[in-house]
Amino acid sequence: MARFHALQVTDIRRDTRDAVVVTLKPDAADRATFDFIQGQYLTFRRDFDGEELRRSYSICAGKDEGCLKVGIKRVEGGAFSTWANEELRVGDRLDVMPPMGRFFTELEPEKVKSYLGFAGGSGITPVLSIIKTVLAREPKSTFTLIYANRQTSSIMFREELEDLKNSYLGRFSVIHILETETQDIDLFTGRIDAEKMELLLRLWVDAEEVDTAFICGPEPMMLTIADSLRKHGLADEQIRFELFASSQPGRAKARTLSQVAATGAGTCEVSVTLDGSTRNFQMEKNGSSVLEAAIANSMDAPYSCKAGVCSTCRAKVIEGEVEMEVNHALEDYEVRAGYVLSCQCIPVSDKVVISYDE
Amino acid sequence: MTNEAVLDEDTMPLADYLARGGKLTSPNNVPPRYRAELLRLMSSFVDSELAGSAGFADAINWAPGLKERIAASRITLEKVDHAEQVLDLMSDFGTDKALYNKAHSWSARQPRDAKVDAKRQGGDMRLSVFHYPLQGWTDAVVMNFLMGLATVHQLKDLNQTSYQPLGEVFRKILPREQRHMELGLEGLQVLAVDETARQEAQSSVAYWLPKVSETFGPAKSERFDRLKQIGLRQTDNETLRAAWQADANERLNELKLTK
Repeated sequence: MARFHALQVTDIRRDTRDAVVVTLKPDAADRATFDFIQGQYLTFRRDFDGEELRRSYSICAGKDEGCLKVGIKRVEGGAFSTWANEELRVGDRLDVMPPMGRFFTELEPEKVKSYLGFAGGSGITPVLSIIKTVLAREPKSTFTLIYANRQTSSIMFREELEDLKNSYLGRFSVIHILETETQDIDLFTGRIDAEKMELLLRLWVDAEEVDTAFICGPEPMMLTIADSLRKHGLADEQIRFELFASSQPGRAKARTLSQVAATGAGTCEVSVTLDGSTRNFQMEKNGSSVLEAAIANSMDAPYSCKAGVCSTCRAKVIEGEVEMEVNHALEDYEVRAGYVLSCQCIPVSDKVVISYDE
Repeated sequence: MTNEAVLDEDTMPLADYLARGGKLTSPNNVPPRYRAELLRLMSSFVDSELAGSAGFADAINWAPGLKERIAASRITLEKVDHAEQVLDLMSDFGTDKALYNKAHSWSARQPRDAKVDAKRQGGDMRLSVFHYPLQGWTDAVVMNFLMGLATVHQLKDLNQTSYQPLGEVFRKILPREQRHMELGLEGLQVLAVDETARQEAQSSVAYWLPKVSETFGPAKSERFDRLKQIGLRQTDNETLRAAWQADANERLNELKLTK
């Protein structure tokens, strides 16, 4: 299972009014662990008033920059991004998980490939990592970036993209689509919708030539772009998405799970929520699991291995005390937040409320 | 890109996004019920491949010739590799890969004449067809062809699944599973020219056909509706079953293997 490592902040550069680029350095022993693939992301954790928050940010450095960099844009009400933009200092150490993610294609230096990238706002970060790596390591390939933003001042990495254009003349081009700013060409003003995609693909980009398209941005934008690309003949395997759903799991208060073994006496009132409906039943406190009881009460509760290994049956204890016999799948922070493996979950208290929906 | 909550006019509820064919790409933020259904789908595939491989291992020693021995070895090997590729995705969600492999006896089988409920009964998540034992080379060839063909139809549907990393793995696996099915078909063609072997194959077909048919699930399935809603599945059980059935019948009739 992936573990957190402490990385040192070696540089913080303000990129736009509400975005910073943070450079991180792993300790010598961790260097291999943090050898990333272009387009991957890092997951950070930090305590905010006793609550652990985890946030993922895409790496924006190319493979040949010899460092780890992430772009962090401040979002309204976002605890982590606000803290990173306002309080994070050079020299601080951050808890970071090794790089993860599959938003990339294999590099093939000898091939001639044509890439098309779409980025919306901070969705540029993984795409930038891919652009820099591909241009450096696939000398015959070309990359076209279509980059949507509100206005010029909110464009992340604007200068760096200009520099790349100059360093890789003829191999890299950028089209900026600005929502609220008029540009010389009408097509480049507004939002990327189906009509604009149609025109872009007719006038500026030849979809037939494209080997792979990378899309990273808000959900509706990705759907629109993917639809248009498919209509222009791109197959699913040629379209790569990166999305982190914006809905966050609830911030549960920490919960103490009893270490006392079930006494094996009496019954427990159990309430189980699954797919929005709740069922109440009684179960014997005889060492059988809440999952088994739910199934016996004809609920279609999710499970697979029944051995505490796979985590398919993960549920959250809303009320009551349970004991988890075996846990090979949930991390400490999940357990603290009240999650259990329901196949291993034995009621201790006389009433237990469990939900598969949270 | 980040997963810090952004809720403005640029974003949309995840349910709408999935209903419109959107893809999810990271384990970090898939919603709880999506996570559960996805893991269940992946376990069922992994367990079926592991159980399928474990059962087919016997066929290596039943193989009548070197070519067949190589084919059986290859199928046995590659099915484990396919299981591992999906298990790797499960590890991203916290599944302990090493323990997972040890959690069940993948070679365990019920008696040949057992009546295994198509609904899973405890134990691992393998499809019910993998609870029945093979009983010799001809039987293994027939089962491998029929189930291989079913897998091809099922994977073609799962290619489009809304969890993009899984769709990618399935797209990569599909040509090799297709090849396993073709190896079965080649084996059947050899058997079909010998009258004794053909008759033996015919009774194996009669034995396996309904059992493979059951792997497509019930015609009316709430689970399918649920999976369809979140984009994990696309084509309903009955449509897939009918396509497989037609495909299988055509090839079996050509070889005079149906009764």
